[in-house]
Amino acid sequence: MTRLRAIPRAHLAAALVLVALLVYPVVNPWQPYPQAVMLLGFLLAIQASSWNIISGYAGYISLGHSMFLGLGSYTVGILALQWGINPLWIAPLGGVTAVVVAMLIGSVVLRTRGHAFVIITIAMLLAAQILAINSRGLTHGSDGITLELPFWSRDFQNIPFYYLFLGLLVLTVLFSAWLRRTKFGTGLVAIREDEGKAASIGVDTTRFKIVGYAASAFFIGAAGGVYSYYLTFINPVGSFTILGSVTIVLAALAGGRGTLYGPVVGAFLVQLAGEAATVYGGGTQSRVLLFGLALMLVVLFVPKGILPALQAWWLRRHPADVEYTDQAGALGRAPSTAHEPATAHVPAFAHEPAPGQDPAPAPEPAPGQGVVTVRERALERAEAAGRVAPGEVLLDVRGVSKTFGGLIAVDGAGLTVRKGSVTALIGPNGSGKTTLFNLVTGGMAADAGEIWFDGERIDAMRPWRRGHLGLGRTYQVTRLFKEMTVQENVVAPLPDSRWRTMFAGAVSGHEAARARELLDIVGLGRFAGQRAGSLSYGQQKLVELAQVLMLRPKLILLDEPAGGVNPSLLGRLTEVIRELNRGGVTFLVVEHNIPLVLELCDPVVVFSRGRPIAEGPPATIREDPVVLDAYLGDDWRPAPDDPPRDVTTREAVQ
Amino acid sequence: MTQLVQAIILGLLIGGVYALMASGLTLIFGVMQIINIAQGAFLVLVAMLTWWLWQRTGIDPIVASLVTTPLMFGFGWVVYRLLISRIRGSSASMSVLLTFGFALVIEGVLNVVAGNRFRSAAPSYFEESYRVGDISLPKTQVFGFLAAVVVLGVLYFVLTRTWTGRAIRAATQNPSGAALVGVAATGTAALAFAIGSATTGVGGSILSVLYPFFPASHYDWISRLLGIVVLGGMGSLPGALVGAGILGLAETLTATYGSLGWSTLVFYVVIMVVLLIRPQGLFGAKLREDAV
Repeated sequence: MTRLRAIPRAHLAAALVLVALLVYPVVNPWQPYPQAVMLLGFLLAIQASSWNIISGYAGYISLGHSMFLGLGSYTVGILALQWGINPLWIAPLGGVTAVVVAMLIGSVVLRTRGHAFVIITIAMLLAAQILAINSRGLTHGSDGITLELPFWSRDFQNIPFYYLFLGLLVLTVLFSAWLRRTKFGTGLVAIREDEGKAASIGVDTTRFKIVGYAASAFFIGAAGGVYSYYLTFINPVGSFTILGSVTIVLAALAGGRGTLYGPVVGAFLVQLAGEAATVYGGGTQSRVLLFGLALMLVVLFVPKGILPALQAWWLRRHPADVEYTDQAGALGRAPSTAHEPATAHVPAFAHEPAPGQDPAPAPEPAPGQGVVTVRERALERAEAAGRVAPGEVLLDVRGVSKTFGGLIAVDGAGLTVRKGSVTALIGPNGSGKTTLFNLVTGGMAADAGEIWFDGERIDAMRPWRRGHLGLGRTYQVTRLFKEMTVQENVVAPLPDSRWRTMFAGAVSGHEAARARELLDIVGLGRFAGQRAGSLSYGQQKLVELAQVLMLRPKLILLDEPAGGVNPSLLGRLTEVIRELNRGGVTFLVVEHNIPLVLELCDPVVVFSRGRPIAEGPPATIREDPVVLDAYLGDDWRPAPDDPPRDVTTREAVQ
Repeated sequence: MTQLVQAIILGLLIGGVYALMASGLTLIFGVMQIINIAQGAFLVLVAMLTWWLWQRTGIDPIVASLVTTPLMFGFGWVVYRLLISRIRGSSASMSVLLTFGFALVIEGVLNVVAGNRFRSAAPSYFEESYRVGDISLPKTQVFGFLAAVVVLGVLYFVLTRTWTGRAIRAATQNPSGAALVGVAATGTAALAFAIGSATTGVGGSILSVLYPFFPASHYDWISRLLGIVVLGGMGSLPGALVGAGILGLAETLTATYGSLGWSTLVFYVVIMVVLLIRPQGLFGAKLREDAV
């Protein structure tokens, strides 16, 4: 009994309904009409559940999904005629055709983001119809293909089809549920929530979308094969009907797109309503009007669907005790889980664990060396690369430029980040720091220049490839996938492009366990099950850091990690950064909190007007008149007797 | 040779009409990132209205657009205010679904009111042609093309020479910037949607003469228009013109040298080929993405 309770209520209800559906034809065998209504409901549910994979999980709406039913029907119908075998035995081939066509269309249309997909799906549905009408040799054109009648006794009527479609539906739902629990499923949802961000955490968005589209086609195609045998007749207008697509979209949308059971529930609602309309509401003609109205009403009033709306209503009625921004708890957890495990886990982040390799302390500046002109510094950098911070060059930005219209955001900038360092990038607002980040991580393409990372030239690589090489970043304004849980957010990144990683479990298994560990390290382990959007801003920053760590990065670009974070969380953040750095992770930090920069980073690079104007150890930088002039301001002078890393420095600024 | 010239000229004439029909769609997309799937249904609605006016009064179908254009302008305004504005801010896919639903409602209403049969307006010059040497130009095609060019000219004038048009273009290029200089986003969007709908006033009138139609014809039309817009680059008006020309030519050339049945398929083949080579369409600009 306790074991039963552990299963979510939705799954229990689904199992009960399944048992009832299995028993129904046995209890009530001689009723062909209700059986036909039910089996068409199963067929619609198969289609809506499949549609849900690309359009619900990944958010790419397809308005032509009934095409795959037609493709499946035609494939199986034509082959059955040519080979002279029963269509049922080759029904899966319908699914294969559907997958192949989906891959072809997808690899043309899904390479870019945005709206072309929805348009092409409608166009392809109509094109398929035209193709079927015109390829008379293969499809008999508008006359259609007639298949043999089912081989079983007429006494059984539709019962075999009833069980076939029900079986296919169960498979479809199980498949959809499994996908959603893998990193592939998490990646699809990530694409829906924020495609650019998804690409930056190693999600190969092009591949994910194409595979998602193909996955959403298979069971429809297979069902199409069975359906052709059920109808024993296939014609172009009936096979490639746009109204079929409308019912799929309506069913999934009404039930709740993006949920597991929503499309199934919606399919039954739409099927029953459509049947009622046909019987009582003036025949098939009124379906168009009715479905159109229903679609509009759903979009306007229950855009998330009925199941999610009911769930929200239930949660309002039965509010659970949600621990929101319980900071004391988060921090309280930190010492117990973070300190010791941190050192234990740290080697896991770095490809080459470097125990004992402390961030190389910069040579103490000799008195009087503090004030150096830019030219001298540039010379110094040129002739003695390696004196600033030992270690090989990990990231090398060479003469990179980026303009937006007439605005030069990055102007022939060069920058090197050495292995094991925590390099800071400071400069006034609009000096091109974030743009440089975008160029390095691949969010934008540079107009000129080269970017090298760990010995490879990366400036022409897609963002996810750079992620796989070990380049991670956080954002100035956090970009978590707000509708996903904290745990899913952290599981989502892909450290490599292997299919095995892609289909690794996201809910249980080693990837999920690693995500939990990472959450513990940033002190947010107990928020794992919460919606990321409900976390405080500072906590979101920490989650984003954990998310990046999942990439096993060699270099992490932090864009204003301290912005909007309160002092105690900030303490936790710097602690985490230091721990990771000791474990071998290199950092490049954009930050306006100068005391933090001077305390944490070495070397410091100062950016102004799209290019670096100074570089050096923090103690030198804060004395540099050029820097003071460009950024810090004349009135900023640390008290001379304060040691550089004293807490009072912070107060001195304020 | 004559056949080729004839086909090319016919293709360009048809392309002009396509350009007009697609201009409204791309304008609406450019300003508010909404793909108005109901644009095809608007066309069929106007065609039906024109047919009815022509039947009742005997008014020339193309002249009837003087009535239908202001009607569609008002219709577009109301549709925007009542429906589209409610889902501003939610994802773009919702607008696709909403306008798709609306297209079905129009189709359903036309089914109930007018019945599910083919119609075509046939004015007195329906069967006549101009002859230039060996080339014959059907009068309906010529008049349709001229009407389309006039309307496109007016549209160009409105967009480039009036404050309203500049406001619309500003909102197309940079919504937040336009808001800063006092262009009210909602008003501009409603206006753009109304203008976009008004183009179907003439487009639908031409359709009623050139093509037989019935309530479900709108699927054909919307997929053609969307094809043109994707081909030209979404939101680009010059792109729509060029795309329409290319597809008009491809269609007539296939119909002349291949078969009529395949000519509609050429549309989709061309679109897929263009997307394969240039995913953003012919005139699609690469916008600043991912900037945070």
